[in-house]
Amino acid sequence: MPRSPGTRLKPAKYIPVATAAALLVGSSTLFFVFTCPWLTRAVSPAVPVYNGVLFLFVLANFSMATFMDPGVFPRADEDEDKEDDFRAPLYKNVDVRGIQVRMKWCATCHFYRPPRCSHCSVCDNCVEDFDHHCPWVNNCIGRRNYRYFFLFLLSLSAHMVGVVAFGLVYVLNHAEGLGAAHTTITMAVMCVAGLFFIPVVGLTGFHVVLVTRGRTTNEQVTGKFRGGVNPFTRGCYGNVEHVLCSPLAPRYVVEPPRLPLAARLKPPFLRPELLERAPPLKVKLSDNGLKAGLGRSKSKGSLDRLDEKPLDLGPPLPPKVEAGTFGSDLQTPRPGSAESALSAQRTSPPTPAMYKFRPAFPTGPKAPFCGPAEQVTGTDSLTLGEDSIHSLDFASEPSLDLPDYPPLSAADTFSGALRSLSLKAASRRGGDHVALQPLRSEGGPPTPHRSLFAPHALPNRNGSLSYDSLLNPGSPGGHACPAHPAAGAPGYRSPYLHAGAPGDPPRPPPRSFSPVLGPRPREPSPVRYDNLSRTIMASIQERKDREERERLLRSQADSLFGDSGVYDTPSSYSLQQAGVLSEGPRGPGLRCGSRDDLVAGPGFGGARNPALQTSLSSLSSAVSRAPRTSSSSLQTDLASSGGPGARPTSGPHRSPAHQVPPSPPGTPCSPSYAGPKAVAFIHADLPEPPPSLAVQRGWIGTCSRGWGRRGQPWAPPGLHLCHFGLPEDHPPLRAPWSPAPGAPPRGAVCRLHLAASSLFPSLSGPERDTK
Amino acid sequence: MATEVHNLQELRRSASLATKVFIQRDYSDGTICQFQTKFPPELDSRIERQLFEETVKTLNSFYAEAEKIGGSSYLEGCLACATAYFIFLCMETHYEKVLKKISRYIQEQNEKVFAPRGLLLTDPVERGMRVIEISIYEDRCSSGSSSSGSSSGSGSSSGGGGGAGGR
Repeated sequence: MPRSPGTRLKPAKYIPVATAAALLVGSSTLFFVFTCPWLTRAVSPAVPVYNGVLFLFVLANFSMATFMDPGVFPRADEDEDKEDDFRAPLYKNVDVRGIQVRMKWCATCHFYRPPRCSHCSVCDNCVEDFDHHCPWVNNCIGRRNYRYFFLFLLSLSAHMVGVVAFGLVYVLNHAEGLGAAHTTITMAVMCVAGLFFIPVVGLTGFHVVLVTRGRTTNEQVTGKFRGGVNPFTRGCYGNVEHVLCSPLAPRYVVEPPRLPLAARLKPPFLRPELLERAPPLKVKLSDNGLKAGLGRSKSKGSLDRLDEKPLDLGPPLPPKVEAGTFGSDLQTPRPGSAESALSAQRTSPPTPAMYKFRPAFPTGPKAPFCGPAEQVTGTDSLTLGEDSIHSLDFASEPSLDLPDYPPLSAADTFSGALRSLSLKAASRRGGDHVALQPLRSEGGPPTPHRSLFAPHALPNRNGSLSYDSLLNPGSPGGHACPAHPAAGAPGYRSPYLHAGAPGDPPRPPPRSFSPVLGPRPREPSPVRYDNLSRTIMASIQERKDREERERLLRSQADSLFGDSGVYDTPSSYSLQQAGVLSEGPRGPGLRCGSRDDLVAGPGFGGARNPALQTSLSSLSSAVSRAPRTSSSSLQTDLASSGGPGARPTSGPHRSPAHQVPPSPPGTPCSPSYAGPKAVAFIHADLPEPPPSLAVQRGWIGTCSRGWGRRGQPWAPPGLHLCHFGLPEDHPPLRAPWSPAPGAPPRGAVCRLHLAASSLFPSLSGPERDTK
Repeated sequence: MATEVHNLQELRRSASLATKVFIQRDYSDGTICQFQTKFPPELDSRIERQLFEETVKTLNSFYAEAEKIGGSSYLEGCLACATAYFIFLCMETHYEKVLKKISRYIQEQNEKVFAPRGLLLTDPVERGMRVIEISIYEDRCSSGSSSSGSSSGSGSSSGGGGGAGGR
């Protein structure tokens, strides 16, 4: 019998249960001793067996009803209680199967009593599905032990019936010697049984009715459903089944052995907005960041740029806008264009990015490569892959520039290089790989990824970058991103070949290697290239080569200016990209990608071109100083400035040289063109610090309560109700009627009302305390 | 950031309990144990809606399975009757088995989903199956010794910065 804390042992309450137990056991024992032997002989041995089993059943159910927890609710914690402060209503309505049921606030247990729950004053507990408090078992009858109580009643009734019946048989057969001991005892037992027969059977019948109607004694006695509908009924059969066959409910008061709480709370915590925005990009950024290598970041940015560019640069590829065109080409047909871009690219120096989009180089445009899933998920991987590709580009730049580079072979090489690059990227980023995986949208929501990359002309970037790389042999050789140790290889093929992907493996291999190249929607840039005919691409390539060289010469002079310019516009772009790609923390990483932004400049809206050019020139100049260091320095500079200028560095050092060409289209779109847009992007996309949660710390440990309708709750003497929390957390207690600190004194009139009262003196109240 | 065990004293070190959200029972279907899947506004910025709903729905399904009246529960009752309920000393009831499953599930959810987001689920059994208690923790500098009432803004900003750096 669960006892609530604070109650003392009261012997009086044990009298009924002791009496009941004594009578039950005593009478039955006498019956078995004095009556059953004769019955065994005279009637049947089954009589004592039946009675014995029945008695055992009665005892078991009696014990269960007496000692089993009826379903006591533990007291509510303070912090749960504080939700319902004392100004809360006494009742709370809840809808149960369409019927409003009232839940009353329990002042003792500090919660709103669930439906059918009631507080037992004897046990001082709230009991679930409270039926009644039975003195004969000295226990509440509730959800858990109602079945045993009901069975006890049933079995006791049956037992009593049996005892009386068999006793009668015995007495009738021993009528001649009623004075005999056995007969006397049997008659005494029959009297006791007969005495309690009526109440017990009456109670049994009452509970049979309750069970079939699905009510509790409490509900029946208080008339809750008198004339109304019982929302808790399950039908006659359902109710009986529920009482007799439902699983034994658990105890609430005693905590079952729990598994140790192994969850560790390790701030910083994830936030939904962070997860939504950044995940795929995040990983990539860090991966493509400075530490990951210039190429990677650059490629990523380039991919973004490419995505943005396509709109600006139409399919036709004027010499100037070649870089942009590539980007735009890559961009426009995004979803499926990757393949086409790739194919187109193939004719001219194939872009590694393009290659990525298009697994099988020789295959027709668009055919194999980007399956929708691939495209969708590929965004992230594409970005990363782009980085690698760019690095590849740079590595292979020198070779690409070779005029005698046959388009197809170059493409093949590119593809191989791309694959190898992806492999390298994958290996390089082993960890990133894992991190990237979850970020990538596995074919699921292509749109988010696409949208992320939409503003960034990823394909364009790729295309342009690759193009640049092709055109600018400036940073060939080992300067290439670490992924391409063979960057210095003279031939275009070498880096890629070194990478180890010979021939043109189908797209899957690259993807399988590198998380970056995973299911990313590469389509943007590759598609563009694929759209172009080979001859056109070849011519574009040649023109780009020429322009690249010219730009290199110019960039030397413009480097200074370009840097600043780079930081200005491209920075915005890169920032935008950065924002899209990752949250603020990843800024530096993003910067690396800013290179892509720069590259994508031309496509981005034209504004980039000039910036791109300047950045490229700066990059190229930087590169000229020291390929790797310059690019890296630029990158860091860019990172610090957050400008796209970094972009050039983001790509492999090679990129600087290559970057110049990208902006070539020569359309010096005013930086302002991209500026506002980029700025807008910045504002929109820049990662902002996680919003601070307006958590009300003060809830815990506060103690400013007034005693409302619910009245003062019971609390153990000396126990302050608001004991949760550190003492210093508790604001000083104050009576409800005393003003809070800082509150104006009673009767003070605020300025507004003071003015009003002055205007309408008649309307002001009797007390007019002017401040 | 210092790791944090679900212990009030240790929590104060680096992640402090900010507030608790209570998911109430849903009595629309009677007294069967199910919890409201309504998304509390306090969790709006802490956890994704569908994650939360999925957790609550899974819990509801567990409880429905625990309370299901079927062959197993009937047999269990008959066996208990036949053995004069001595079987309860040796055997675990069906409900208790499911409760253990629920407890494991909640712990797993805490480890994988909620703790990384600074939340902790409390098994409803500890609260009498009346509420699901979700404790919301705030990021706090490990060096911070401010009271638990300290602004969550600083905590979250530091958490954000930490997160940024961590990422």
